[in-house]
Amino acid sequence: MKTLSLKSWGHLPALAWTAAFFVLPLIAMLLMSLSERIEGRITLTWTFANYQAFLTKAEGTFVGALINSVEVTLLTTVLSVLVAYPLAYILAYRIPRQWQRLVLVLTVLPFWTSYVIRSYSWLLVLSENGIINQSLLELGLLSEPVGMGNSRFATVLGFVHFFAMLLTLTIYANLVQIKESYRKAAADLGANSLQTFWHVTLPLSLPGVAVGAFLTFVLAIGDYITPQILGGSKELLLPQAVMLQLGRQADFPLASALSMVLMLVVTAAFLLSARHLKMGRV
Amino acid sequence: MVGRFASWAYLGIALLFIFLPVLVLIQFSFQGGMAPVPPFDGPSLRWWAKVMANRKITDGLWNSLLVGLGSAFMATVLGFLAAYAMARKRRRLSGLYQFLLMAPITVSYLIIGMGLQIFFNHLGIGKSLWVIGIGHVVINLPLTFAILYSQLGEHQANIERAAYDLGASDARVVLEITVPMLWPSLLAAFFIAATLSWDEFVIAFLLSRFDVTLPVVIWSMLRSGLSPELNAAGTLVFGISILAVALVELLLWRARRNRA
Amino acid sequence: MISSFTRNLISRRRALQLGAAGLATMTITPKFAKAADELNCLVWCDHTHARLLDPFAEKHGVTINVKEYEGTGTAYSLVEQSQPGDWDVFVIDSVDVPGAVEKGLLAELPEAEMPWDDIFPELRQPQLHFKDGKLYAMPEKFGYNSIAFNNTRVAAEDVATAAVMWNPKYSGRIAIYNYYIPTMEMVALGLGIRPDTITQMSLPAIREKLLEMKKLASVVGDVVTTQNALLTGAADILVAGGEYTVAGMMVEKPELDWTLPKEGGIRWGQAIGVFADSAKKDLATEFVKYILSPQGQGALATADCYWAMPANAKAELDDSQKKQLRWDQQPGFIANSHPYFIPDADLDAAMLDVWTEVLGA
Repeated sequence: MKTLSLKSWGHLPALAWTAAFFVLPLIAMLLMSLSERIEGRITLTWTFANYQAFLTKAEGTFVGALINSVEVTLLTTVLSVLVAYPLAYILAYRIPRQWQRLVLVLTVLPFWTSYVIRSYSWLLVLSENGIINQSLLELGLLSEPVGMGNSRFATVLGFVHFFAMLLTLTIYANLVQIKESYRKAAADLGANSLQTFWHVTLPLSLPGVAVGAFLTFVLAIGDYITPQILGGSKELLLPQAVMLQLGRQADFPLASALSMVLMLVVTAAFLLSARHLKMGRV
Repeated sequence: MVGRFASWAYLGIALLFIFLPVLVLIQFSFQGGMAPVPPFDGPSLRWWAKVMANRKITDGLWNSLLVGLGSAFMATVLGFLAAYAMARKRRRLSGLYQFLLMAPITVSYLIIGMGLQIFFNHLGIGKSLWVIGIGHVVINLPLTFAILYSQLGEHQANIERAAYDLGASDARVVLEITVPMLWPSLLAAFFIAATLSWDEFVIAFLLSRFDVTLPVVIWSMLRSGLSPELNAAGTLVFGISILAVALVELLLWRARRNRA
Repeated sequence: MISSFTRNLISRRRALQLGAAGLATMTITPKFAKAADELNCLVWCDHTHARLLDPFAEKHGVTINVKEYEGTGTAYSLVEQSQPGDWDVFVIDSVDVPGAVEKGLLAELPEAEMPWDDIFPELRQPQLHFKDGKLYAMPEKFGYNSIAFNNTRVAAEDVATAAVMWNPKYSGRIAIYNYYIPTMEMVALGLGIRPDTITQMSLPAIREKLLEMKKLASVVGDVVTTQNALLTGAADILVAGGEYTVAGMMVEKPELDWTLPKEGGIRWGQAIGVFADSAKKDLATEFVKYILSPQGQGALATADCYWAMPANAKAELDDSQKKQLRWDQQPGFIANSHPYFIPDADLDAAMLDVWTEVLGA
């Protein structure tokens, strides 16, 4: 009986699920990206034409879209960390322990508004007669309304709003695990609070930053909704280019090739940050 | 490091930033006219009445709930079994298994959705809530696995060994010792998975046919134009979610108190 | 439902049971079974509101399932990804009907039972809806991609000509509808190219003009984005907009307006037919007849998703609705508009490439 215990087989269902519904679909997509449409039928011809199309089609727009995507995503990730870190720090060290959980829940509450609605809502907030413009006009800081929607600024703002919440969670979780004795010891050795932060707290909290930043990168670079609603198509991001191929033309081979390129970028990001990521300990 | 005043000021500004779109969303769900933009000419319940009568939204709510609870349950069970087996027994291929189980987290939802679409189409399996649920288990399994794996420490292992020594069977140990000890983490994993599924758009969009989940309903409403009805729908979703958050917090609090 | 849900969740021991119950419900809920009394329709988003569907569903005691799509390519891939017999009713752009007939997707409709003589004469276009003397789809709704604008901020004489689309006077206040076919055809009209004469040779000129327009534009977006831009003042002119963007709002927002410039506009038309593979052709045909009836046409013209003219001249609409749809001006509009031109696959792909480049510019 012992040999059939849960310890021996418990991991198999999850592995089977991942193999069947993750690995096989990825292979199917890889094959699709090596196919072409011949008279409306998709045929596997082991062609690299779709990858070539990524490089050359539409005057290099796809490469531009990839660069835009990486820029927007990096900007989002950096800004989200900068917004979230102080917030998580204040939560962990400035709020009395018994209130921390309540304030934390409050901080991430908008996380539970529908994600599509959140973007739409920012569109209303940023518009020329939206609340920001109206307030600035009222205060006399503006003489005429400034359209802030439909731009890279709006896309990044919508992203940062969402991911700052996510990062606050991961960084906070990391900060509260740092033993207070370490910081006390640093203080006893004569470090001022800035030195303690720089030499003790910050390095020890980097895993939380890395996990959150990586998740931000993955989720932001593959997102279609936020740029579509807030970006106003002033520029094209890669997920938008993918959806554009699926829309009227149903060009699955090209869309698959673009997706594989996107995946390659994420894999590179993963390898770059792998040192800090202890995925088993999210 | 940061002064007391600066801390509170930062917290205040951050909360304002975080809540601004939500407050505006809620306010304009009570708009009187057809445009959910200033000037505010409410309050009116006109759009709330419309949302409550909108079958697509109520169907979407129900579908999202089914997919969310179903896929979260599946992800939690699979995640728990895997975490238990990986934490209690060393294997030659442990590293590879962990990598495989965590791999989906490194891939964008768009890619997972498209892959499943191509894959199922190739097999001749039609789109449905089932297929969306399968996709949501894929994206949530790494999270439930990671959460539960990190909680299965030596402490529990010792208690489990004690139970074995007293002659308990494998199933009894897991069900009566391990599961109760892990209860808060199981609940947290389930809740996180349900939340992510509840709000997931791209996979649900690519894999749905007639029965669509709430984010897809909202997306198609959005495509047909601006309306305070969308604000009302968004506020409704927010309200339901807050209720769920409050419930789970209550459950977690009770679970911790009972253990203490 | 919520209260019993709450009670279940409150009890800790039963949380797992709830999860199990959720799974069990998924298996027994009738939605997962393909019931005999369902009608599956592949439609544009204006066929999804209860006011349109409920009267038919109640009268025949059936459930109507609708799946929205946005472009004919999406519709074809949805059909290809289904099992034969999955679909019953198809709403499709009139110009795409011959292609669908060619693919063998559409069934013949009983011409004698259809209100062919009530359809506005200009919309009948037998070359689209008939093949070899057999009727395959009925025109059901039409409208224009032209220019929508804010009449308090744009001078009437400016929108009288298509050049308003690239008038530097409105720099930063122009929105462009993000669907390449009607938008590029509208630009072609402004350049003096009749839409159905567009070839690969005309694309460089259109591309150049689009790149110029992109610089002047404040936004390129879908219906809601551009509508929002008009409502909030981020844009005062919408290229390729029309009554479908503004007609539903004109009662409350009279400043939102639309027009055909003297060069004309693009006239789109939708048609409805029955799938050749449908196992419920009789019911599907009844549904087509209902959509084309005066009652169905009235509800379709004033759809929640977008308003536009019904194809049936006998549609049930009240005077204010007719005014919003500009019923009386239609003869002039029809005379001054060009039917939507669908390029062949190669030209379509080339146009999408140009469009992708413009979006990325």
